[in-house]
Order: sequence, then C-alpha cells, then structure tokens
Amino acid sequence: MTASKPKVGIFGLTGCAGDQLQILNCEDQLLRLAERLDIVDWVMARSNNDHTCRLDVAFVEGVVATERDLETLKEIRARATTLVAIGTCAVWGGLPAMHNEIPREVLQREVYHRDTAFLDTVEARPATHFVPFELQLPGCPIEREEFLKLVNAVLLGSRPELPTVPVCWECKTKENICRVVHFGEVCCGSMTRGGCGARCPSHGVACAGCRGPVEEPNYDANITMFADRGISWVEIARRMSHFSAPVWMTHGLEKEVQRGRQR
Amino acid sequence: MAVSGRNIVIPHLGRVEGHGGIFVKIVGNAVQEVNMDIFEGSRYYEALLKGKHFLDVQGIITRVCAICSASHTVAALTAIENALGVEQTERVHALRGLMLLGGTIESHALHVFALALPDFLGFDSVISMAASYPQEVAFALRLKQLGNQVQGLVGGRAVHPVNTLVGGFGRLPRHRELEGLRRELVAALDPLMRFVDLAATIPVPEWAAQPTVYLALRPYTDAFRFRGRSICTSRGEEYPIESYRDVVREYTVEHSHAKFSALASGETYMVGSLARLKLWGDLLRGRAAEAMAKLFPSGVVDNILLNNWAQLVELVHAVEHAAEVCEDLLGLPEADREMVAYQVRAGRGVGAIEVPRGTLFHEYEIDAEGRIVSANVITPTAQNLANTERDLRTAVEHLLAARQGDNDATLKLNLEMVARAYDPCISCSVHLTRLSPAAD
Repeated sequence: MTASKPKVGIFGLTGCAGDQLQILNCEDQLLRLAERLDIVDWVMARSNNDHTCRLDVAFVEGVVATERDLETLKEIRARATTLVAIGTCAVWGGLPAMHNEIPREVLQREVYHRDTAFLDTVEARPATHFVPFELQLPGCPIEREEFLKLVNAVLLGSRPELPTVPVCWECKTKENICRVVHFGEVCCGSMTRGGCGARCPSHGVACAGCRGPVEEPNYDANITMFADRGISWVEIARRMSHFSAPVWMTHGLEKEVQRGRQR
Repeated sequence: MAVSGRNIVIPHLGRVEGHGGIFVKIVGNAVQEVNMDIFEGSRYYEALLKGKHFLDVQGIITRVCAICSASHTVAALTAIENALGVEQTERVHALRGLMLLGGTIESHALHVFALALPDFLGFDSVISMAASYPQEVAFALRLKQLGNQVQGLVGGRAVHPVNTLVGGFGRLPRHRELEGLRRELVAALDPLMRFVDLAATIPVPEWAAQPTVYLALRPYTDAFRFRGRSICTSRGEEYPIESYRDVVREYTVEHSHAKFSALASGETYMVGSLARLKLWGDLLRGRAAEAMAKLFPSGVVDNILLNNWAQLVELVHAVEHAAEVCEDLLGLPEADREMVAYQVRAGRGVGAIEVPRGTLFHEYEIDAEGRIVSANVITPTAQNLANTERDLRTAVEHLLAARQGDNDATLKLNLEMVARAYDPCISCSVHLTRLSPAAD
C-alpha cells in the first residue's frame, strides 16, 4: 500500500503561513492525512526534508515578493506533477498586493527612514501569475474542509468539487439579515466566491472579499447599488479595495473617488 | 588561510514559522560570526496602513501572521481604542482576554508538542513521533484544537478573526456554547498535568545557559495575566507602556537587514514565557503553580532551552484561566451583540500585550477623519533576535570548549534547538523587511 502513497510537498512563499497553519489545524485528520500522503518536504512542520525529489502533489501558499520567491516557485513547479495554489495570496495576490501602485522604494523609506538600496524586493504578485497551476484553492485563510475535500479528490484521481456560488448565496441560505439592505454597509458578499459559509455576515460583519472574486462578478451593479444608498465613493472604495484593489481601479471608481475627495 | 576555518550553515530552519536560517563562522576554536538570517519577503504592512480608515486596521494587520492573528487583533484594537478614548466594557475585556488565552493554548501546544518536543525525544516531526507516542500526540493535537475552538467561538474563526470590532463584538457567544467550552477546558487539565510530569523527567541540556535580562508587562491586576499596565525588566526597572520606544531601542545592523532591539543600556534581552515566569511566576495559582513547582523546582534558571517548559506551565495556566473566564462570562446576562458608542477624533494610542512569544507593541496615530497617519508594530521575535544570536554564540563556544563541537551535524541540531526554543515567528518579525540569506 505504501508504494501508492503520493509524495507531497507543502511550501510557503512570502505570507503569513496561515494556509499551512490551516493544514496543521486539521488536528482530527492530521495523522490520517499522514497515513495517506507521504509528506517529504514541509519545512514548517519537520526537519530532514528532501528538497530535490519528484513530487506528485505540491501545495504553495503566499505571494512572490522577492526574486528568491520566484526561483523557489519555479523549482517547485519543475518538481511537481500536480501543483496546487492554496490561499488568496497565492491565487489572487491578497493583501500584500493591495498597493502595488506605490513604488517599493517609497514603502521602504516609510519603514526605514534611510537608504534601502540593499533590499531585494519586488511588487507582490500571486504565485499563479508566474507558473501554471493544476488546482487553485482560495481563502484567507483556506477552509479546512475544502482542503480535505481537495486532498481526497487528488487521492482519487478526480477533481475537487468546490463551490462557485457567491458568499451572498450562502448568506441567504443562513437567513442572515442583509448588511447592505438593512444596515447600509458596503458588503462584498455578492462579488466574492463562497465556501466560507458566509462567516462574516453571520457574525454581523460585512464581507471584506477575502476569498477573491466569484466568476463574472458584477462590480458596476454593486457599486451603483452602494452609491444609490447614499454611501460615498470614498467609503465604497475603502471597503472594496482590500482584496480587490486592482479591480475597482479598472471600473472607474478611482475617478469617482477623486471627484468625491474634491467635493 | 593559516588557521583552519569552517562555516556551519543551516540554510532553512525547520519546524519554525516562516523562513530563516543560521550562519556560524568558526576559525580555529573561536566563533567569529553568528547570524540569524531571515529571508521572508517584505510586505510593508505598516506603510500600507497609512491613509486607511481605523476600522480597516484589524482586518489588515491580523494578516501579518496567522499563528499570532488573535494577538495582533487584540493589540491593534487596544491601541486604536486608546487613541479614540474608547473604554472596554467588562464583557469585551473578558472576551478579548479569552481569545488571547485561546491563541496561547493553540500556539504553545503547537510549539511545545509539535515543533520542540521532537528534538528532546529524537524525532524529525510530530508525525513520526506519533508512531512511538500515539496517545501523547493525539492529546497534544486535541489540546491545539481546543485553543482553536476558543479562538473560533470568540473571534468567529481560528485564524484571522472576523468578529472583533473597535468597541466590541459583532456576535456574542451563547451561554450554552461557553458552558460547553468551559467543560472541555476543565477536562483537559488532568491529561495536561500528566505531560508536565513527563516533561519533568526529560533532562534539559545546559550548554546554552547564561545570565539574561528579561522583559515583560506588569499584569493589570494582582494575578498572572497576559495584559498589563507597565513595562518591567528583571533588573527592577519599570516604565509606562506609552514610553515603549525609549525602552525598546530598535536598530539596524550591517550583517542583517532586519531591525534588531536592545535596551537603552545596549544589552540584549529576552521576551516570552521564560521572561514572564521569571518576573511574575509567583503570581501563578492552582494547577499552574503546581506545574511551575514541578518544572522549575528552584525558580526560573537562565537557560533558553527551558523556555519550552515555561510554555508548558503557561499552557496549564491558559487552560485553567480560560475556564474561569468562561465562568465569569456565564455570570453576565446573555446578549446578541456588544458595541460601545464612540466619537471619531484625532489621537495616538499604544497597545501592549503579552502574546505567546513575548511582548507585542502596536501604535497608531489617527487624524480627525479617522485615517491612519502612522503605524508602528514591534514584535516579540524581532526583540528576541539579538538575544538569540548571543545564545547561539554561547552554545557554539561551550560545545567547542567541551570538545563536542567537532561533528557538524550535532552542532547544527544543537543550534536549531536554541533557535527553536525562542519559538521564533518569522512572518511577524519581518512584516516589514527582508534579510539576505547567509553568504560566505
């Protein structure tokens, strides 16, 4: 039986290690996972790792924020048959990519108050921007159940069945009171991919969009809906710019914000 | 070269959070250079916060680090509320405390059992340890899960809480949820004490021991607590939290690009479990006091490898105290939501919290519109980096002097044990910068 155990590597580029932690957080299933997977390269959880062998499956979290990250990513790609992006950073860029329009030198000076030419740093981009991935699992962090489902599918040689509905749909099935209609808040639930069970609105908090966009999100209609409720352009942009910064800028909101600021 | 030299290089330190390595240069029998190298990429969180609304800070800054997300959340909310002059209600104070305890249970259980203990028992991971210690590993994972349950109930999620707001909480736990949690916490105490007995039988090497200055917050009340009202050192100094920039002096060094920290005197110091036990261990009560007596029979000794056992004592305290907090909360009337009304105003506020790895400082300046003018975060791991290098150097010198340093593999393992004892959280320490990897 052990001969058929797939060789697995788990890697983090630049990030908070939250998606790797979510794997460790599968406490009930961790030892069973270890029985079914041959985890040979996982620096966060073990020493004596094999950094060169072929991998049947490799999981990668985080953004590429340094030249070194990119080299690491290319090495992993070359070793892996099935490459899986885990977490919103790896799939979409997440918070580290929030302000790529600001030159890195400006950020460095802000933090260091001195010349920082010695730093190796590039704009933060999702891992999926650089190499092809067979599977992508967003979430900030990923949901444990979705991860386990995905592993199961990979072990069975099929593809994981993951929700494509928006958070808004899950929120309706929970019969939560709508954050937009009843509270006049900017909620990203109808633009954001579900799978979290509408966690934030279920806690009385508007969706921040941490799982990244649903397929074909209708940003314009959402922005109009918020504006029609008297929410200012600045407020709309503020709420929508965390996890979807690159998107709202292309939808003319930036111009509206500037006008709003002049008013 | 006339004198033979060698480099000990650990390119990628295993079983720690984030990406780091160790570089040691030995010439003859003398240690020339010791570097903690950290090659985590930069995300510039503090700079990215500038111009954001204060309501957005928690959701952003929690993502500096997953393991420490509850810690960053409470520190940020405390700092912002201090800036705005928001008073925490009794329930909000208790619930935030409970979330911090949950974070401590999860983090300490992960570190003591999964990251550090394999070294002491001779395994490369907790997974391989499970073959020989199945019951122990199962309980350790159960305990870690319990910490996540606490964080999940209060914060809405074990990693990156969503329920935590400036002024209160979106949803309050129901009484039956608190009662269920309380029972599970109480039930975890006996098996946890058996671990204390097991740990007391494991010999801890002394080759890294040396006199150390410790720093921790004085608890806000006359008991062992993770929130405090002033900064204290083991030399008897005491400072107000607001003057943290004068106490914790950040500086840059040529061999590494991270900010290091030292006291005004130039001395390096240690923050974390060992520091807290050194300063406030006599305030522990109940089972935690028993654990302290078993693991530190003659008080806290200067040996960083004992930090693992200090975390174990705190683990007992966290489980025990979390059950008490649940009981306190059960004494309050059940409610759906708790939010304090407040006015937005310009201000500056500091939040200092004792988190699993030591003292964490957050500071924010807010303008009259509620926008962030400046942000500053000093993490425990960054404060410990200079002291870690000092202890690594001592360890190499002792091992060379005892003629146990000839074998590179042994030396490497020993160095890794020292670095791991600090439980470094590299994502946290380099939330703003990147160190270049060691090069010879």
